[in-house]
Amino acid sequence: MTVARAVTCPSCGGSIEIRAAGYTVTLACRHCGSVLDVAHEDVRLITAYKRASANFAIELGSRGTLLDIEWEAIGALERRSPGAIWQEYLLFNPYAGYRWLVLADGEWQFGTLLLDRPEGSLSSVKWRGQTYTLDDSSEIETTIVLGEFYWRVARGDSVQCKTFARGSSYLSSEASGTEVTWTQLVPIDRRDVEGPFVVRQRYKPRPDLRAIREGYSTAPGMDENDLPMMFLVALGALFIIGILQNLLSGPSQCVSNRFDVVVGAADTTHKIGTIDVKRPWQFVTIKADTDKFDNRWVDLDYSLVDRRTQQSIDAYGIVEYYAGTDSDGPWTEGSHHGETLFARVPRGSYDVYVDAGSHGWPSDPRPDTLDPKNPWSAPSTVSVWLAACTGGYSWGMFWTFAVLLFGVPCLILWWRHQD
Amino acid sequence: MESVNCPSCGALLALRDPGLPYSTCGYCQSLIRRSNGTAEAVGTVASLPLDVSPIQIGTMFTIEGSSAIAVGRVRWGWSDGSWNEWFLRVDDGRHYWLGEAMGMYMLTSEYPAALEVPAIRNFAGGNPMAVAATVKAGGKWFHAVDVKEAACLGSEGDLPFPTFAGRTMTNADFRNADGDALSVQRDDDGTTVWLGHWSDLAALQPRNLRRIEGWTVPGELA
Repeated sequence: MTVARAVTCPSCGGSIEIRAAGYTVTLACRHCGSVLDVAHEDVRLITAYKRASANFAIELGSRGTLLDIEWEAIGALERRSPGAIWQEYLLFNPYAGYRWLVLADGEWQFGTLLLDRPEGSLSSVKWRGQTYTLDDSSEIETTIVLGEFYWRVARGDSVQCKTFARGSSYLSSEASGTEVTWTQLVPIDRRDVEGPFVVRQRYKPRPDLRAIREGYSTAPGMDENDLPMMFLVALGALFIIGILQNLLSGPSQCVSNRFDVVVGAADTTHKIGTIDVKRPWQFVTIKADTDKFDNRWVDLDYSLVDRRTQQSIDAYGIVEYYAGTDSDGPWTEGSHHGETLFARVPRGSYDVYVDAGSHGWPSDPRPDTLDPKNPWSAPSTVSVWLAACTGGYSWGMFWTFAVLLFGVPCLILWWRHQD
Repeated sequence: MESVNCPSCGALLALRDPGLPYSTCGYCQSLIRRSNGTAEAVGTVASLPLDVSPIQIGTMFTIEGSSAIAVGRVRWGWSDGSWNEWFLRVDDGRHYWLGEAMGMYMLTSEYPAALEVPAIRNFAGGNPMAVAATVKAGGKWFHAVDVKEAACLGSEGDLPFPTFAGRTMTNADFRNADGDALSVQRDDDGTTVWLGHWSDLAALQPRNLRRIEGWTVPGELA
């Protein structure tokens, strides 16, 4: 006696076997994908489709042994939630009933419908003495249907699904209408599935894509407005960086000096003073301020000469200020202040020297000519105040951090408000 | 085992529960009513549609330490499917219904006390059963999960009522979180209440299961 009930698809005329005769209510034709009502002797067409989707990893009708019981894959669903797409297979054995195989993210789960239902609140449920906590809650839509099922199923069906987790075990509740079903899902090794069942790799849901989508849409804070938080964190981080930089710069010791530089004359050497670097490495900052001038620049070649080794560390600074008038009106460029930072000065005692020279723009004034505007003036000089300090603060680094920290939230803010 | 000759076709029918008034002839589908040692054919019943139920007339179960045997079956159909109800006789003469759905089993015995529950008494009076109605029976709380109109699709074996095509009933199923089951059935003969629990086949310790072509009986059930 054969036990498969054969029916003819009213849509395409193809012959289909019903494997779980007596239980099966809905059948999606394997030839054309049309959904048929086979609950009764007469087969009724529910929805006609032109072509069956064969894009399932397990071929329907194939059998495999899982957990010591032989199962036949008789139905397949492709379902999706807002963040994921996966496949579900209905397994049947007339002596053992129904089970599920769920293929998501390249991983397999084995599902059993629960007779004893978990009870609990919105955030956690208790089942057989163990607590499962809410993992996910979303609306699930069935997108593709193939094979046979013991309940009414159609493409586009949607249910509200809640998943509760305890380690790698899950309890999943699906509510449609007044009916709620509970399924226990446990992980199953892919070799245990892909050995007995013929699994077509090319039709497996692509794990990488799904993982990215899933990871993105379920990332913490994704469904909240976390922009104020981002700004707050950036501000906090910048504050900490400021304090840290200040602490790292170490004790500050300063020497200062003042001298005049004749414009257009040869460079002159001046000693600013002696400073001690007390940490293994420290910043040294030299600030230069001048009296007011126009269209001059002052070259400042600094040397930190180690008193013990006579080795020198050199750096260059400049103070320049230009002013004029052109077709756009009056303009100025530069300032009467300059700052030079020695980034890594090793421990030691240093004499600070500067070679200073000043020049005019576009050309040096001739020392022997008189300024026609100010014929009584002495040869033009620039007064320079120099202060050399250990410690010092890298504002460049600070502002780089500021841009990096605030850049992302500002970009998001702009992106959200650009419409 | 007692037996009876079919008054219609003369075939010899084994009776697994001679105390029951109705038997279906497996050869000519006659429904035979037996009383006071006489047997008469009172009509014919539809032949059962093909199914892959693992149970057959004669399958034995162990229920609370007692041995029980499947003596009859009714198949009920409703708008969204159909299911089997197997009538079981325990050695001591008690009976159970074993409902088969979704590959799972609902074992119930009659529990007349629950007819006094207001919601059930109201239902027995011909009123609809509210979905999500909550009742207490046998010291347990239940809530209604579905109410459906069902029609008899066929029968076999020995049964307590006639199973003519067109016999209808209204069935209200109740469940709870512990897997307990309460089934209230209303038909022309009145209303009965059945109390029990859901289980899988293995928990019923079945023997003499039906051999289904293409499948082997799993070791623990063989």
